[in-house]
Amino acid sequence: MAKGKPLWLDTVLRLERAVGERVESAVRSDTYFDLVTQANRARALMTEAVESLSEEWLHLWNLPANTDIRGIQAQLSRLERRVATLQKEIADLEADGKRPSARRRAPVKKQTPPPAA
Amino acid sequence: MTPAAISGDLVSRVNREVERSLLRARNGVRYVTTRPNVGATPKDVVWKRDKAELWRYRSDVPIRYDPPLVIVHSLVSRSYIFDLRPGSSTVEFLLGQGLDVFMLDFGIPDELDADNTLETYVDEYLPRAIAAVQAETGVDEVTVAGYCLGGVLAALYAAGYEDAPVRNLMLWAAPFDFGQMGVMVAAVRDGRLDADELIDHTGNVPADALYSGFFMQAPTKQVAQYATLLENLWNDEFVDGYQAMAQWSREQVPFPGAVFRQIVDDIVRRNVLMTGRLRLGERVIQLAHVEANVLNAFAENDNVVPVTATEPASQLVGDPARRTELRLTGGHVTFAAGRHAFKHTLPALTDWTIAHSDELKPPKER
Repeated sequence: MAKGKPLWLDTVLRLERAVGERVESAVRSDTYFDLVTQANRARALMTEAVESLSEEWLHLWNLPANTDIRGIQAQLSRLERRVATLQKEIADLEADGKRPSARRRAPVKKQTPPPAA
Repeated sequence: MTPAAISGDLVSRVNREVERSLLRARNGVRYVTTRPNVGATPKDVVWKRDKAELWRYRSDVPIRYDPPLVIVHSLVSRSYIFDLRPGSSTVEFLLGQGLDVFMLDFGIPDELDADNTLETYVDEYLPRAIAAVQAETGVDEVTVAGYCLGGVLAALYAAGYEDAPVRNLMLWAAPFDFGQMGVMVAAVRDGRLDADELIDHTGNVPADALYSGFFMQAPTKQVAQYATLLENLWNDEFVDGYQAMAQWSREQVPFPGAVFRQIVDDIVRRNVLMTGRLRLGERVIQLAHVEANVLNAFAENDNVVPVTATEPASQLVGDPARRTELRLTGGHVTFAAGRHAFKHTLPALTDWTIAHSDELKPPKER
């Protein structure tokens, strides 16, 4: 591919490097990261403000807002995590006939691998 | 050159360009309308827990070496990088060398995985997955190859368990010195990027944030890549490779929030891996306690995990008498993609693996 590279491609690649090196040094600067952080914070504040306004309006009509749905999602996730943990504990009990948490009770330097579950 | 020869040459060049233009048009349509055939090597799921899965790859080539090889993938990308496409796949290459290949894939995290910590991977998934390999193959030991952050997890597992059945441990571009990990990690370390602000409502760092981080390392590079693609669009082989690689680069996975915070606090800010010790759960793991043969393989032009971040593992992990260092040319994906991978990297890695394995006589059918 390097052999016989057409002029247009060579020009694009050189141009990209000429511009790219400057852009790369800019995006690696402290100023860039400070700007990204500020922009992220501003966006988060803006989203919060809009959500808070729309939430009031939606609640007025007895409708769920995005924040309510997120709250329910988080609650559901916690519940799913709990179920998954219980499922794993049962699987572990079935696999090795002992409580899986007992393995970690003794503060030892190294541990013994458990069987597959 | 005679005028007839010049005109003949011109005609053949015009013909070639017309032919290539037609192929470019055809491949261009194919590029935007199809998805690459990634992860195509046949495999069986032999173990599963939460979203973590252990795959055993199938092949017609008999197994010629013990112990089996388990690849532990990273937490920040998709594992199909090691099985990118038929004819250009690390897994296919290793199977062809007579190795029994397994892959530990951690899946795509969501809200349910937000509480995953380093302990989840090191104490919950890895020991069980390795035990599943033993149960599946009937062997006592395994060779573990950890890629990128998967290398850190594999090292912590091998060091943290006295009876870890790891005969060989390969670290492929595994970061240990987080003080050398580049500007984005430095920005998180110095507090210029707040770790908590990177975590979204699911409790994870979204895949988009990770993609943006990688993309912003060289924002204009894509222009050069697209121009090179346009020039080579007539070449089926090039297009297939480009399409698979481009998809992999775009398809980052969310990073579980709890493990992200843990990595930022302990591994990035305090750079504890460089002390050779890491507190995990109720114990302190010492990297020097790895009893396996250790190969630290890293690439000189890796701009994701620079050499300065990977090189210290050669002084930290395992017994000094059993350590080997393999310095490769190429970048972060030289373990899986590119002509160099199949000509130099993978043969070198296979040679080391075979030298530290037992040859099966006769070979075992899969």
